[in-house]
Amino acid sequence: MNLSVRGKLDRVFTAATGLSVVLLTLVLVAILGPMVYRGSSAVFFQGTVEFRKMQRNLFGRGDEQLLHAEVAETEEFRRQVYDMIDGFKKGVDVEAMSEQAREIHRQFGQELRDKNLPADQYTKLRELTRQIRDKLDSAFHSQDIDEIQRMVAEVLKNADNPQLKDTSAEKLFAIARQFLQAARQIDLSKHHEYAAALREVEGILFHSETLPGLLGPRPGEPAAPLVMLRYGATRWDQAQALLDRFLWVQEWVEEKPGHPLVMKRRVRAESFPPSLRPLFAYVEQNAGKMLRPQRTVYWQFLIDDNVNSHYFGGIGPEILGTMLITVIGMLFVIPLGIISAAYLVECSSDGWTMRIIRMGINTLAGVPSIVFGLFGLAFFVLFLFPLLGFEPKPCILAASMTLAVLTLPVMIRASEEAIRAVPPSYKEGSLALGASRFHTFLAVTFPAALPGILTGVILSLSRIAGETAPILFTGAVSLGAVPHSVFAPTRTLSYGSYDMAVGDRLAMMVPHNQYGMVVALMMLILILNAAAILLRSRVFKKLRGQ
Amino acid sequence: MNDANLTLTLAPAAEAPRPLALTPAQDLRGYLGAHLGRALLFFITFTSVLAVLLILVFVVVRSVGFLSQSSLTEFIASQSWRPTAEEPVFGALAIIAGSLYVSFAALVFAVPLGILAAVFLSDIISWKVRNVVKPLVEILAAIPSVAYGFFAVVVLAPWMQNQFGFSTGTNALNAALILAIMALPTIISVSEDSISALGRELREASYSCGATRLETIVRAVIPAAHSGIIAAAVLGMMRAIGETMVVWMASGNAPQIPHPWWDLAQSVRTLTATIAGEMGETPEASLHRGALFAMGVLLLLMTFGMNVISEYFLTRAKKASGRT
Repeated sequence: MNLSVRGKLDRVFTAATGLSVVLLTLVLVAILGPMVYRGSSAVFFQGTVEFRKMQRNLFGRGDEQLLHAEVAETEEFRRQVYDMIDGFKKGVDVEAMSEQAREIHRQFGQELRDKNLPADQYTKLRELTRQIRDKLDSAFHSQDIDEIQRMVAEVLKNADNPQLKDTSAEKLFAIARQFLQAARQIDLSKHHEYAAALREVEGILFHSETLPGLLGPRPGEPAAPLVMLRYGATRWDQAQALLDRFLWVQEWVEEKPGHPLVMKRRVRAESFPPSLRPLFAYVEQNAGKMLRPQRTVYWQFLIDDNVNSHYFGGIGPEILGTMLITVIGMLFVIPLGIISAAYLVECSSDGWTMRIIRMGINTLAGVPSIVFGLFGLAFFVLFLFPLLGFEPKPCILAASMTLAVLTLPVMIRASEEAIRAVPPSYKEGSLALGASRFHTFLAVTFPAALPGILTGVILSLSRIAGETAPILFTGAVSLGAVPHSVFAPTRTLSYGSYDMAVGDRLAMMVPHNQYGMVVALMMLILILNAAAILLRSRVFKKLRGQ
Repeated sequence: MNDANLTLTLAPAAEAPRPLALTPAQDLRGYLGAHLGRALLFFITFTSVLAVLLILVFVVVRSVGFLSQSSLTEFIASQSWRPTAEEPVFGALAIIAGSLYVSFAALVFAVPLGILAAVFLSDIISWKVRNVVKPLVEILAAIPSVAYGFFAVVVLAPWMQNQFGFSTGTNALNAALILAIMALPTIISVSEDSISALGRELREASYSCGATRLETIVRAVIPAAHSGIIAAAVLGMMRAIGETMVVWMASGNAPQIPHPWWDLAQSVRTLTATIAGEMGETPEASLHRGALFAMGVLLLLMTFGMNVISEYFLTRAKKASGRT
């Protein structure tokens, strides 16, 4: 082959190997970067007044007085929104108005009974208001403005009736006037369309049956049973997403038959008559004043329990559960691992037992994690617990023991490496002074190997904290009380991350909490691993005498 | 010199705190102590072997009920997995195939990349740069599998769906890509070990014949290190086939064999994902649970087998590199 071609090929090859590592780095950055960025927004974000309300009510944080002042200021700006919507509703929401008229009629009857009027007068007045009510009802349901004007005029003829003065029946006339005014401004044939569109707008602004809205429920409204519906957008990014949904309607339309649907956006204000359009401009301009976003550091994310399946609150119990399982697991794995490693290094005399033990460790390291889960369920939960008189139920203890078996090879290998790295001269010096082998190990080899063993401990810690599959059937739950004993199951960061990624639809609405959970887990593990890597490089420098 | 004048003065013997000779009782105690202690330590060390045996026994025992009542040929040869039907059918062929399918697909991505990276680490960069790059690989290995799964299902799946117009983002390609990333650290470190263990002589001999670096590595180094590289691939495969969370979250969980076979954009389901997904809903001592434990046995057998193969190749690699 030509020399220059060979040279070029060589350079291409070198570049390709370099590129492979660059690609790895990029993959690492692509995975970690966006996730850490989005996860950190669970703690650092722009919190609105709704967030502070929620913190005050659910967790008792923040100054009551300041909050009241702030809420009063925001209500100032919100009132206009309420007024605009109510005013528009008067002309549009006919069902609600009919219901209101009927309610007034009932109330009026009650008042009459309380007054103890003579029977014939009572019947007459009742009949009169019934007529008014029915006329109003047909006016509400009419789509012809002339007819409406005629009917309302007939109703209003009774407005001067002295017997109706200062009674609740007067409210009927107020409704009639407002309705007439509103009816003159809108296209009556679109009543139902307007009503449906208005309901949607109200859902986005306040809250719908299932989803929270921008501003939260209106003052005086009874508290919704779902906690998340009791507050508006607690975060400014959430608020902006809702604002976008408020201002724009997204529709999937088929542009040409047979083609995939295309998403189209159109201005939502256009689906309303001009009388309501100022609302949209007003909300867009004053969203900041109605919500007051502020930079917030919600470090309590790491200690709070969640509310309404992770809609609000944090990941405190998950962190606690992960720590419990990890610590208890380490109680089993540290002594076992160090003793095994010491035996393997110090007493490795006879051939075939050693080979069997090594094979055992290698095999254990290769067993799939889900099989550890099966084993934990079959052995610890269903066999060992009944044998010892415990209840055969998944719990922290079973999960810890299962994970301890899983990490045993990691611990043994790291400790063995650490013990082997101690220079033989240390040991020989001690033996020469007459110390026994056992004593030598305890007083000389073990302390010298300790930093290296610590590396193994940290690596096992991070492995236990991150594993999910083995604890699926042995002690992890997605929702439940904070555990009070080792015989209770617990939530963990790892299982929680799984659950929030695929489990429920609600979690999709709070990506910051979703990412927050998994990033908390990753940070925990990456910090542990970074510590292990640093420690190891220092230990080996020291042992090499640099 | 007068020898007679030489006087030998001996210092008086130091007072020994205790008699140097032990009494028979002390002797016996010491002997027993050393041996009993050793036996105890041996027993503790034996825990690992015991654990393997217990895993094998308990997983097998739980599946015996199923294997004796249901036909093994149906389990291995039938493609229909209907465990909760009126007349349940436990045909795991599609699921076994799914496991192998995503693992092999992952290897197709991971092995070439892993070998290139191993060559880069061992032959191309300096020791100092290597010490910076190595931790990167370790971090890749340290990220918990559920975090990879999260990434696959929340970030990668929607992106793939939008970008390539797949009918679903959770498919074999998604799972294979993530599994490849997870298998890479194993593949890189094992094959790098075997490549750098070969020593300078081989490379220098090749260079002195006038070979370029590419020729040296492709014609001399990699053939000499092939045992280690095969072991690396097998270990990577082991990692991929035993992985649960990623495939459960990212592979779509449809028990089917992709048709045509190269269509990675279809959903598949693996053994691990089936166990993880269905275990929680099975009543105790049911056939369904037995079938899941039988899948566990199958997984164990596969990993045991791959373990033996990798051990074989690792031993050969050690012999080839001249180490004991």
